[in-house]
Amino acid sequence: MMRLTINGTGHQVPAEPRESLAHVLRDRLGLTATRLGCAQGSCGACNVLVDGSPVRACLLPASLAEGEDITTLEGLRDDAAMAALREAFQAEHALQCGYCTAGMLLAARDLILRGRAHDAAQVRAGLAGQLCRCTGYDGIVAAVQRAARTLSR
Amino acid sequence: MEAKGWIGASLPRREDRRHLLGQGVFAADLSAPGMLELAFLRSPVAHGRIKALRRPGSAPVFAAGEIGPITLLPAGPDMPSFRQAPYPPLAEDVVRFVGQPIAACLAANRFAAEDLVAQCEAEIETLPALPDVAAALAPSAVALHPGWADNRYASGHVKAGDVAALDAPLKIRRRLSLGRQSAAPMEPRAMLAVPDRRTGELVLHISSQGPHTLRHALARMLGIPEARLRVVAPDVGGGFGAKNRLMPEEVVACALALRLDRPIRWVEDRREHLMAGAQAREHLYDLTLHATRDGIALGLEGDLWVDAGAYALWPTGAFAEAGMAARNLGGPYRIAHLDLHHHTVATTKPPMGPYRGVGRTGACFAIERLLDALADETGLSRVEIRRRNLITQQELPRVTASGLALDTGDYRAALDAVEAMLDREAIAARRAAGERIGVGIALYTEQSGHGTAEWAGRRNRVVPGHEAATLRMHPDGSLTLLTAIQSHGQGLETSLAQIVAEELGVHPDVVEVRHGDTGLSPFGFGTFASRSLVFAGGAAERAAQALAGKLRRIAAQLLQTEASEVVLRDGAACAGPASVPLADIAHAALLRQERLPAGEPPGLEAHVTYSPPEEGGVFSYAAHAAVVRVDAETGAVQLLDYCVAEDCGTMINPMIVDGQVKGGVVQGIGTALTEELRFDAEAQPLSTTFADYHLPEAAFLPEIRVTHLVTPAHSTVHGAKGVGEGGAIAPPAAIAAAVEEALADFGARIDATPVSPRRVLAAISR
Repeated sequence: MMRLTINGTGHQVPAEPRESLAHVLRDRLGLTATRLGCAQGSCGACNVLVDGSPVRACLLPASLAEGEDITTLEGLRDDAAMAALREAFQAEHALQCGYCTAGMLLAARDLILRGRAHDAAQVRAGLAGQLCRCTGYDGIVAAVQRAARTLSR
Repeated sequence: MEAKGWIGASLPRREDRRHLLGQGVFAADLSAPGMLELAFLRSPVAHGRIKALRRPGSAPVFAAGEIGPITLLPAGPDMPSFRQAPYPPLAEDVVRFVGQPIAACLAANRFAAEDLVAQCEAEIETLPALPDVAAALAPSAVALHPGWADNRYASGHVKAGDVAALDAPLKIRRRLSLGRQSAAPMEPRAMLAVPDRRTGELVLHISSQGPHTLRHALARMLGIPEARLRVVAPDVGGGFGAKNRLMPEEVVACALALRLDRPIRWVEDRREHLMAGAQAREHLYDLTLHATRDGIALGLEGDLWVDAGAYALWPTGAFAEAGMAARNLGGPYRIAHLDLHHHTVATTKPPMGPYRGVGRTGACFAIERLLDALADETGLSRVEIRRRNLITQQELPRVTASGLALDTGDYRAALDAVEAMLDREAIAARRAAGERIGVGIALYTEQSGHGTAEWAGRRNRVVPGHEAATLRMHPDGSLTLLTAIQSHGQGLETSLAQIVAEELGVHPDVVEVRHGDTGLSPFGFGTFASRSLVFAGGAAERAAQALAGKLRRIAAQLLQTEASEVVLRDGAACAGPASVPLADIAHAALLRQERLPAGEPPGLEAHVTYSPPEEGGVFSYAAHAAVVRVDAETGAVQLLDYCVAEDCGTMINPMIVDGQVKGGVVQGIGTALTEELRFDAEAQPLSTTFADYHLPEAAFLPEIRVTHLVTPAHSTVHGAKGVGEGGAIAPPAAIAAAVEEALADFGARIDATPVSPRRVLAAISR
């Protein structure tokens, strides 16, 4: 039995040692905002926060996340940075199919909180390893800067 | 709020909210009580004969013939000369590519199902691999399919005028090629098949671009009535063509769900998608351009080959790829003489499917590279060579030599517009400072919204010449639009609501749009071929007009006036100073029919089937310009600027149009520079992860700058044209030209994509 703390709530999960955190979140706890685009650590659709930092949940064995504070997109509904990002992503047409969006939002939030979203070049560099197949990224880059401006006001 | 004004509004998308909250529902998010998960034993060799299948004694492992009765469907154009190669859901006696499904393994979860796969082994006698077109067409090549005289599905001929009689002073011959690709939507394919014991239906939730056509094929293969198969596409995480063909996994999932009477789920992983999903592109060209010394292109002759892989995917096979490429080779240019032979070739690689730009990305690459060569030969600039050959606005409408009915537009204006977007001074300054900078330009036309005559002419087994809409007003005045196209990123839930709102004088927010469910929607074909806005938008507009007529008639009774005096605006029916809310009309029509005019039947529902009158399609077009910097030491190409001047007619939602253009362009940049499915000499796949198959990332890209020209179409909804695919057509041509220009002092030629560092260095050293 694994003991995981997710979005502030303790869970006891009958997971096998080989199960990834992404699998446990999605298939054992029904937290499906965390999506699998490659399960190879390349695309970032499965980002979650472990103790506040983005981590690829497809590569992290759930057993190694025991004792950590795990946050998924579902746990950030009332987060100020995420609220600004949601508004900016819609205004800048930063999503189309929506599949990469949760992972992208978590990566973007991290960039903003670390003060790495001042200009387009910085945002583009900061989104390395975050794949989107629909938008061509321009909307995402604009949205991250817009949210950063909103939050700095 | 204006009654008229939703067309052309960059309305934020209603789709966004659920995704931004992580509440979108994709097929892999679904589960059902008692569900089993499926994993496949796949072929480890490209070509071989299955001698035996070893498997653990009593485990649920199913080979061909063990999943229930399956009827294989003929695929490809409906003509005797197209050789048949139907794709069995599980390999019968022969495997024909690495990754082909051999056996299906079921367990309580995917981990356990993969454990079971690991305990199975197919004993296979290896046969010769056919890793590419050259190997497949070699005289000594084994026939991949029984009874085939050679490894071609089909060949075709596009002929116009008389190239042989031209006696043109310039003949420029080039061999060109386009790499093999994966559409690679971020969501891999996924499905859950659930037997519904109450209705007796099998309900298939699947990541699909076209639920109705998929249902038709599946029902025929499984031998069940279509009325007892419901196909539901939930949120679909991108398609780009890869989710618009019948694939073996859904046949197996459905067959096992029926056989075992249990829910069955299969979720493709990325390795499976890159190894065994539908693949795309891989064109080879050997072309000769005939031209005058003052740069007028007169004729084009030669051959093109498409590596279509081992099987023909239902319904069309890969035939459209080669045929469309040949027919589009003339581009937007005035080339009157064509003599083009196209060949669709079978190899031991995964089957080819459609991918954004179908055929035209290769055709554009080929003709634009040839025009650049003509420019070099004649000493004219690459802009001037295009200006001399482009069909002018005065010459439109015009049927091209290959029979494409170009409708409205001004191609030269697009060329001028994109040229004006370039900062030539800055480019010259950087060059003067020693940077190796090149500029490339390419134009194309994008056939969109084409109808019955076009598809029937291609001898399609499915002719997507119509689309239906059902528009229903509820007693409170709210509306539901049911449509059979599928929205998986295109924003059609928003833009179709805008079209309905415009006709009915309501806010788009009161129009719910439902799609992607054969249990809800009228029959239709789905989203592909840049058709949904033209077809489903046209159907929605006409359904709204029919409903508006009835609302006006009822309002006239309630307002004591004539229907012709009634205007619908701001959610009400108005006649002079008097008005009645639409909700009151709906209430009367549905709950209080004694208030209706004499003879007016109750109900507020319009069902319309719509076929666009211009069956050859309406043609969007664009000019693209790329600016690159090339490092001649490493071969690395850096994209500095990318400009698009495009015309897709009237834009219903310009924000969404920009998103479609930019997204398409970046996929085209992947084609141009980074993406290639590579295989070794035994046809073993070498690109099975995103570490080997490189999708463009944000840091690699400049902003894509887009300018719009707007020339409305004659007959479509508000004059709109399709725009989904166009962005992906021109980037390989524009970028290859730019790289070549940057390397001009080496005399380097760029004739293949992707323009990888390896290819750049090879071009320099040649």
